[in-house]
Amino acid sequence: MFDSFKQKLKNVQEKLGTSIQTAFTSPPPAEASLPPQKAEKRSESPRFVDKVKTLVRDRELILTAKDIDDPLTELELVLLENDVALPTTDAIISAMRKDLLGKHRSIGSSIENLVEDTLRSALLGVLGSGLDVVSFIRSREKPVKILFTGVNGTGKTTSIAKVAHYLKKQGYSVVIASGDTYRAGALEQLATHAQRVGIKVIQHQQGGDPSAVIFDAIQYATAHTTDVVLADTAGRFHNRANLMSQLEKIRRVMKPDLVIYVDEAVAGNDAVIRADEFHRLVGTDAVMLTKADMDMKGGAAISITHTIGKPIVFLGTGQGYEDLRPFSPTALVKELLGEAVP
Amino acid sequence: MLDTLGSSLKDALKKLAGKSVVDRAAVEELVRDLQRALIQADVNVKMVLRLSQSIKTRSLEEEPPKGMGVREHVLRIVYQELVSLMGASAPVDLSTQVILMAGLQGSGKTTTTAKCARFFQRKGLRVGVICADTFRPGALDQLTTLCRRINIPCYGEKDQTDAVVIVKNGLADLHQVEVILIDTQGRHALEEHLIAEIIEIARISNPTHRWLVIDAALGQQASDQARGFHEAIGIDGVIITKMDGTAKGGGALSAVTETKSGIVFIGNGETIEDLERFDPSSFISRLLGMGDLKLLVERAEEVISPEEVDVNAILRGRFTLRDMYKQLEALNKMGPLRQLMGMLPLGGMEIPQEAADVTSTKMARYKVIMDSMTAAELDDPAVIGGSRIQRIARGAGATPEEVKELLKYHRMMQQTLKGMRGNKFNLQRLMKRFGRIQ
Repeated sequence: MFDSFKQKLKNVQEKLGTSIQTAFTSPPPAEASLPPQKAEKRSESPRFVDKVKTLVRDRELILTAKDIDDPLTELELVLLENDVALPTTDAIISAMRKDLLGKHRSIGSSIENLVEDTLRSALLGVLGSGLDVVSFIRSREKPVKILFTGVNGTGKTTSIAKVAHYLKKQGYSVVIASGDTYRAGALEQLATHAQRVGIKVIQHQQGGDPSAVIFDAIQYATAHTTDVVLADTAGRFHNRANLMSQLEKIRRVMKPDLVIYVDEAVAGNDAVIRADEFHRLVGTDAVMLTKADMDMKGGAAISITHTIGKPIVFLGTGQGYEDLRPFSPTALVKELLGEAVP
Repeated sequence: MLDTLGSSLKDALKKLAGKSVVDRAAVEELVRDLQRALIQADVNVKMVLRLSQSIKTRSLEEEPPKGMGVREHVLRIVYQELVSLMGASAPVDLSTQVILMAGLQGSGKTTTTAKCARFFQRKGLRVGVICADTFRPGALDQLTTLCRRINIPCYGEKDQTDAVVIVKNGLADLHQVEVILIDTQGRHALEEHLIAEIIEIARISNPTHRWLVIDAALGQQASDQARGFHEAIGIDGVIITKMDGTAKGGGALSAVTETKSGIVFIGNGETIEDLERFDPSSFISRLLGMGDLKLLVERAEEVISPEEVDVNAILRGRFTLRDMYKQLEALNKMGPLRQLMGMLPLGGMEIPQEAADVTSTKMARYKVIMDSMTAAELDDPAVIGGSRIQRIARGAGATPEEVKELLKYHRMMQQTLKGMRGNKFNLQRLMKRFGRIQ
């Protein structure tokens, strides 16, 4: 996973490193002979005098736009090629530019570290902090109600089975509400999954009211002191006003403790648009990315969290029930930057 | 659909149209805007760079043909390059054939299989479907339910775990039908045993066509996946699904390039009828806001007689309640307003969200209300005052508020349509020009 992305990031990192190294070891001699007043005209870049001052007196270096432009453009392309959405890419690049530009870097500090630190802080800034579902469930009053939302075909139903299996292994009792009453075969699909992982499913007929199914599941959970209610919903597009208001109703009836938005890790720029719409219309507390085993590029993770500012909780990494990984931003960034994962 | 890509491209082109001289800077600005628009639509980054490079070189180096302005010359190059990016439309013949559907998990293969079955059925062929998805629970139920709705035989075996055996039995069972569609389990190019399985299915079924189903939202990953499938079974057509969302399907274009095939169909809705034939040149025309009258006429011919919707009157900006009534009548047959409008040459005009969201039940109510109006009122809604509203409401069994709402809706539509006239960038003229140079 992330291999190609990692490799490319590494390359850019090295380039940024060299480019800073060049700027660092050879302050351009031509510039040194320029009369100071000429340099002063360029009001935006640090003044020449300052440069000399810092270099000589403080043994520091000021990075200029010229030093970092090329490597940053390359980084931009790498991000885009890895499905990081355009607005997010812009944000990362400008954050890095701001961070690197005009900074006084002391000669003693390692360039490698400098670049890596900047990239790490840019990525971490975008990914935010994570959320541990298990400790979240522990901290809430039972039954904890979790609602799954998302567009068609992202893998909501399979994910619910995986999450149910995962929570069961953690020692929680779980009930699933079969809230996808629209798609043909959805009821059968969830029932089979639940039977395989040994979990109770509450379901009505196809075409029924999803809110009612979920309400019944909560009643069941209260009566049987079940710890967690997982509610499936039919996939819907964020530009269908009536379907979105149905989802809004579900949320009103269910009063979920956690709304998990499910999307696929391989989605491109649209991931941002729909995550944003879902968040705006029905709210999202956490994100789950599926199909992460398809040699995903990792971009969707970065862009979705950047757009709605909500943590990613799980990655779906295969077709089996065990193929679920709790997600940690620091681990992802470490992996991307080629450090050992603890 | 395709709104965002369309409008940013249109902006880019508009900027160029505003220039009196096409110089290097103007071309570069256009190319930069094009790049951003295409990347945002998930078109492969390398493809975008190649495309923009060739637009730039051609625009600056090629001499415009005699009699053609520099500006038109650049637009023409952009258009041609975009068309070549889309690839040709893959052929669909109506002969006896076997079609194998392949694709990633959750890309919509099962739904699309049913839609394709419906397409061939409407063309008057006998169709049968084989469900070779032995993995996903409920897959057979889903396909059976969909097929039962359109009375098409669906072959599947509930407890069989070997998809190859199902296909073999299915082919024998469905030997009387003309078109056999094989739905397969979702898989991705890295799952070796599943790729081996689909190769085996392709070997024993010897399909006429092997179609790859791609989610419109798929990003840069599309090329790699398409290559994997292509190497395995030789894809000869791509179907883009979920085009009714906001995704632009740029990923599918990479798949087309990778497989050197073309787009067969576009799936743009949840019902079984929501499948469109793909036509690259009209696709671009729509993208550039030049409308796609060809497709509109094609579809209109299939479902309604031409006089039912007077496109020309609407284009002239004369949009009476009567036009709206006709439009509502045609609605069920022609699809929602937004789709209909997408095909008209409206030049980047956005339909207000509220107008597009009016649901079909509400549309039916509106029709009832309009049924209680007089001919004069239908032709000139301005005459409708307070007492007439009361009368119409009583006649239709509706509340006066509903009547007012209907009038408001009409006004909104009328204003939107008016807004597109007097557009500085004369789209109709441009459209004609494109018609000439194509």
